[in-house]
Amino acid sequence: MKIRAIGNLAILAATVALSYGMQVSKPHYAELTAPIPIDGAMHDTVRARSFDVRLDKVVFARTLKTEQFGQERLLTTSGLWAVATTNLAATGTSTTVADGTWQGPTGLRYHQTERLSYRQDMPPHAVDPGLDRSGLFVFEVPPDQIRGASVLIAARQFAPLDAQARISLDALPIGADGQPADVLPEYDMDAAVPSVQGKS
Amino acid sequence: MSAVSTDLEPAGDDRQAEKKGRRRSLVALAILLPLTLAETSYDSVREWLRGEDLIARDVEFGQSVPFGGSEWRLADLRGGKAGRLPEHTFAVIATFSVTVGDPDLQKQWLGCKVMLTDAAGRRWLPDFISGVSLPDGVMNCTSAIFSGAKKGDVITVGETFIVPEDAVKTIRPAVGLGSERPWFLRFQRPPK
Repeated sequence: MKIRAIGNLAILAATVALSYGMQVSKPHYAELTAPIPIDGAMHDTVRARSFDVRLDKVVFARTLKTEQFGQERLLTTSGLWAVATTNLAATGTSTTVADGTWQGPTGLRYHQTERLSYRQDMPPHAVDPGLDRSGLFVFEVPPDQIRGASVLIAARQFAPLDAQARISLDALPIGADGQPADVLPEYDMDAAVPSVQGKS
Repeated sequence: MSAVSTDLEPAGDDRQAEKKGRRRSLVALAILLPLTLAETSYDSVREWLRGEDLIARDVEFGQSVPFGGSEWRLADLRGGKAGRLPEHTFAVIATFSVTVGDPDLQKQWLGCKVMLTDAAGRRWLPDFISGVSLPDGVMNCTSAIFSGAKKGDVITVGETFIVPEDAVKTIRPAVGLGSERPWFLRFQRPPK
């Protein structure tokens, strides 16, 4: 009888310990339903679920020059502007690619800028199967978040369990001070606008 | 046999009954669990089916079929090079002749989607192409919904698309409407 009581107690204690362990180690709901990353490097085509993306080029600049409502505007920043040029296509069905995030080496995330007004070459990018088009993603990042960074591109900002291209920027030329080798004083967004067709 | 002894050690008959009861509960669980799952997911599944064009209903060229309360017929499908399009891409215009049956288009045609499909199952949605416009008297699906068409009216619905060269040979126009999903119409190409 005594042994049985001790046995029951032991089972109870084990159950409590197990339950507590499961409770403290339970991943957050946002982690459970996080996007699924697909890794790639610059100049490689990364195949996400609904789109293909290739990061061709990243240009750094201290100011952005853009035209807004017929007026020239200079956008300054206390960090750096990073203008990423990508090549995009849909895999199966016409869709849009709308979300870009800059992830620094320590995991800090910088969402794409919303300071530019609507432009054809800015997200959301309308993409079609078999038709490559180029699209820009523009970020505002501190200079120390550039070495070892990656760019995350997804179809939508909140897309649980959908694919997210994670493109590492190891190929970027970085100077001895850890800063990008080439920083333009000014980047003109309208200097070379490719002719793109928009969604109706 | 006293009541006390029954509590501690059930007699043979009681034990049999208990065993039976447990077995029944187990069987009930096997039935009830899937039923609960089906019940709780029913709404989501229904919502999902209503939003997707999943099952194609093939239509011969020249044939009119009832869809979303109206009669749909593929009027024309033509493709060509357009001025500012990149190389190896074609502009395509698909037009449909629709005889309006149920004039409540805002309900019947909600979420109207005209698309092109190819042999590989890829799908293209309408694009705006600078320099290419729909012929006179042709409206796109969304404007048709708000055109105030009455029962018996024949309207022409059309959309423009950009497709790659390798798909042009096998593209077929398709139409999906909110009131008919998950079914959609897929039209046979006009004969050459």
